[in-house]
Order: sequence, then structure tokens, then C-alpha cells
Amino acid sequence: MSVFMDLNVVYSADRSSLRTVIETAAHLGFSAVAINYVFEPTSKKKQEIPTPVKINELIDQLPVVQGRSRPIRVLNRLTVVMSDSSHFRPNAAEYRCFDLLAVQPTSEKLFHAACMLYDVDIICISVTEKLPFFFKRAPINGAIDRGVVFEVSYSAAIRDSTMRRYTITNATCLMESCKGKNVILSSAAEKALELRGPYDVTNLGLLFGLSDGDAKEAVSSTCRAVLLHAETRKTASGIIYTTNSQQEAPGQQEALQEPADCEAPAAKRAKAT
Amino acid sequence: MKPAEKEEESVYKRVVLKNASPYQYMKICLVLEDESTRLSAVELKLFIISGLRNLYGEVGAALNFDLLKYDEDTLTAFLRVTSRGLVKLWSSLTLLGSYQNQACAFRVLQVSSFLLSLTGNSRDLQLD
Repeated sequence: MSVFMDLNVVYSADRSSLRTVIETAAHLGFSAVAINYVFEPTSKKKQEIPTPVKINELIDQLPVVQGRSRPIRVLNRLTVVMSDSSHFRPNAAEYRCFDLLAVQPTSEKLFHAACMLYDVDIICISVTEKLPFFFKRAPINGAIDRGVVFEVSYSAAIRDSTMRRYTITNATCLMESCKGKNVILSSAAEKALELRGPYDVTNLGLLFGLSDGDAKEAVSSTCRAVLLHAETRKTASGIIYTTNSQQEAPGQQEALQEPADCEAPAAKRAKAT
Repeated sequence: MKPAEKEEESVYKRVVLKNASPYQYMKICLVLEDESTRLSAVELKLFIISGLRNLYGEVGAALNFDLLKYDEDTLTAFLRVTSRGLVKLWSSLTLLGSYQNQACAFRVLQVSSFLLSLTGNSRDLQLD
């Protein structure tokens, strides 16, 4: 099974709070988080697309993921909130600094364009307002075919009961159309106390109308698919992973033949902490 | 039935659960923004019920669950809930975000259908 990921942690200028959020995520068992920079262009004047802060500047020592003894992976992500089709510029050089690219369309036309045309990884579903449009099957199927995923974030539901209503409504609307495929659940947390553990999020997925399996995929393997999709976006058409197959060196074989005391599995002991 | 057989029965009791087990047990920990805040067991249960009521209404508030054990110093508690109510209780715990106008979060540490499994956590073990 693939590891748990939370692909939306809101960037804040306060470094120490962001660091606390990342540490909490690692403690809860997330193996990867993406720091989200939100870019909301307004039609009045031209605005600069934010540039991501380098991870090693942000945090010196990456915290170890609970239960995996491996440091957490931190990515950068840009979300463009679109209210006009000119807001998303395909092939903009500024987008290349980010590992993940997401759009949040605010009208049906833009939603259709985002699903069928735009070269993005994630389409955010608004959770802070009632949806101004219906989800139609055709664009959603198109997005699923292209490997674009839909994102529902849950921290607004923790903050406020009205937002909770909108979150559940919009999420169930989406699940009816996409049947639980290509959905990711993420936190959009600003504070550490707004993060929830991966199994909590899975359980929350059941509330949004996902099945057991789909809910778990929404925090694990679908997120992995997003990362791979993001890598293909940067390269020509695809990516190939190669790993060395385990080869037994002669020295190792001798070691195996010894009637050793290594038959017992690795001993476990309680952590000192 | 012979009395001898009866005696044997009482020595070895074999429990076979044909359906899913009736109860689920949860080990939870409450994390508060202000760490000096203390809750009594009654306050904690009321808080959880208020969360259930907020999310599921009166029907949810009527959900049958018990607070088996509670440690006031670490704010760690064991809950017992009927298997049917697990998803409801768990989701309402997840969506609880504030206690008396301060931010809080429930960390669900372990969930199991056997109370005995909550005595140890294999994730806290370290491989030598």
C-alpha cells in the first residue's frame, strides 16, 4: 500500500507555525506534505505569482515520519483561483518552480475548461460557499481520463459549522458524479490543531459518500498518482522508475549458510521515549 | 446434560463471533491549545456528546457510547461504542475543533474491536 500524504498545507509567512504543522503531520503518519501557495488574480492590476521558499531554507531538519523512520517529504504547490480564463496562463515559467499545480475554478465554463484542457494536476472543489454550478458527467469523466484529480479539503469543516454543511454538500455532489474515483482528501490546515490523522481522514471520507476502499485511496494511492502525474507534466510524456533488483553478493551467501543465530526475526523493544 | 460436562464448559469458554463484534474500543487523546486546561470525565463526555449533536442532531446525541477509563493528566480516554456507531462517533470526534473557544483536536490513537489490543501499540516498537 502506498504511503499517506496530505497535499495541502497552507503557506504562512510565520515560519515557526509552518514548521509546527509539518512536524505534526509527520507525527500523525503523513509521509509527504505539500505547502500550498494560493494565487488569486484580480482583474484590476497585474499581480506577481508567488515564488516558493526553498524547503531547506524553511526547515533545516525534516522530522521523521511516525512508524516509518524516514524523514517527511515536503513539496511545493501552487493553487490558482480562477474567475476568468485569462488567469491561468499555460506554460508560464513561474509555474515550473512548483511541484504541483492546482486550479480552483469558480464558474461552470472554467470548470469545464480545467477538466478538459488545462495542464494541471489538481482541481480544487470550493468548500467555503455553495457551489454556483452543477457537476456534469462529461467534464468529470474527461478529467478522470486525463488523470486530473479533484480535491476536497476538510479544515474549513472543522472551523465553522456552516462551512461544514457546504463541505459535505459539495463533496457528496462530487462523489455522485465521479463515483469516488480520482478524489483526494486534504487538510488545507493553517494551524497544527486543524490537522487530522490519515485514518481520521479516511473515516471522514465515508461521511462524504466514499466507499471504504476509495476513502483510503483518497489519502494514499490517489495522492501518489497525483505526484506521478505532476512529474509527467514536467517531462515529455512519461516517467519510468528503475530500481536495483536484490543481488546476492558472494559474501552474503556465505553469511546465509552459516548456521547462524540470525534465524530469529529482528527483536522488538519498546521505544525509550 | 451431565453435570461433569457442564463443569468443563465453565472451565473453557469458547467465544465465537459469527457477526462483527458488538463493540469497538477507541483510545483517544484530546489536544488543547492551552495545555493547562483540565477536564473532568463528565465534562469530556458532555463535550463528545455536544460534538455528536452538532454533526448528527438529536439522533446522534442518543448514540450509545461509554467512557471506560480516563486519565485527567494526559487527557487520554478509552471509549466503547457499538460497532454501528463507530463511524458516527469517529467522524464527530474528527470534526470537533474548539472547546470553550479554544482550538482543540482529538487524536485517535488506536481503534480495535478488542479492549485487550489497546494495552500495547505495535507502532511504538522499535526494530533493533
